[in-house]
Amino acid sequence: MSLKTELHTHVGSLRRYALVLTRDPVAADDLVQETLLKAIAKSDTFQPGSNLRPWLFRILHNTHVSELRRAKTRTDAAPDLPDPVARDCQHTQLELKQVLGALDQLPEAQRMPIILIALREMSYAEAARCLDVPLGTFMSRLGRGREALRRIVQGVGAGKLTILKRKEGDA
Amino acid sequence: MTRTDTPDPGLDPDLMAYVDGTLAPERMAEIEARLAHDAQAREAVAQWRHFGNLLHDYAASADDRPENLQIAALERQLARKLQKRRWRVVAFGPVVQRIAASVLLFAAGWGTHALYGSGTGNGGTVYPQFVSHTLAEHTAYKLAAFERASFEAYEMDAALDWMSQQMQQKIDSPKLDRLGYQVETARLAVVDNQPVAVFYYRNPDNERITVSMTPRALEQPDYSLRVAERDGERMAYWSSEGLHYAVIAATDAGSITTLAAAVQE
Repeated sequence: MSLKTELHTHVGSLRRYALVLTRDPVAADDLVQETLLKAIAKSDTFQPGSNLRPWLFRILHNTHVSELRRAKTRTDAAPDLPDPVARDCQHTQLELKQVLGALDQLPEAQRMPIILIALREMSYAEAARCLDVPLGTFMSRLGRGREALRRIVQGVGAGKLTILKRKEGDA
Repeated sequence: MTRTDTPDPGLDPDLMAYVDGTLAPERMAEIEARLAHDAQAREAVAQWRHFGNLLHDYAASADDRPENLQIAALERQLARKLQKRRWRVVAFGPVVQRIAASVLLFAAGWGTHALYGSGTGNGGTVYPQFVSHTLAEHTAYKLAAFERASFEAYEMDAALDWMSQQMQQKIDSPKLDRLGYQVETARLAVVDNQPVAVFYYRNPDNERITVSMTPRALEQPDYSLRVAERDGERMAYWSSEGLHYAVIAATDAGSITTLAAAVQE
């Protein structure tokens, strides 16, 4: 695979990852642009022959974390969760909204592994390299994060889904 | 068993590998048998998978977005930077440095002045026949007039055997893949009743290199390495072990020397 083709594939992955991180297509593209600008500036640090994808994801990850910290200093108000891009039925959208909302409640260290693995584009080891953590740490965060996500969704879901079912029953 | 006594499914690497499809096939059945009897693990696995599917589909919706032209421009810029970076690392890497040094030593008897002096410039410079022909091959790209046979990359082994017979000398195709170039085609041309083996290379950025090898007759001069420029094309040519070599590419003087060194090796 040529470098151009490889890079194009990775940029597609970055856009997908950025969308889940930001929940906003415009902000996602801004994040990818910022990532590419930084990658251009740091291109001399890339070791040819090494894997390009973790290098790019690490830049995006760090850029996103920096931006989150900056945003936190600007406002402590929790941002409204934008509606996800419509793809499926109302129930799926509600579930997705719940999962995305639950993800927001997780610590960043657990949130990132869940999203990276959900992309289904890399191994555990490669995803760990993207986040610059040892594989054992990554696995532990992924597992704990998944269980925490499940508990949050179950807690939230019980109430909201009951309301939804009641509304459907009223209609 | 109380809730606190129950092992956390999130700490079970086999369950995670099962959900993520990374479990070895021979262990799949084992985990499935376990799940059949473990309602808690079954529920956890089902939910992880479901949440993963939701997130995956949401992420994939980015593919439905139109192309972002600014991202595309930055992507091209980064590709160029990384390509240059790859080139620099290869060019200054130990292997190429060693072969470049060997070629420069080979030319040292003539001195640096001779290496970059002779043949530089356009006006009226006369190059040896094998250089002029290679330049014509490179510029016209596969000059049909002189062709006797042409081979694709996958036929290279047979091509080299046949061309070696025709040239009555063992030749090998230069290995330039470490510099990012793959051989595309090889041709045997006949110029002034003399066979010339010509190899065409290309890198992922579509940059071409033409390399030729011509048997050197006893009465012909033995050329030390020379680097010249003509119409934006750099040429390196020299003689070694009964062959004249010419390498032509649209590149700078340092890079053409590196390419020459790689061909020589």
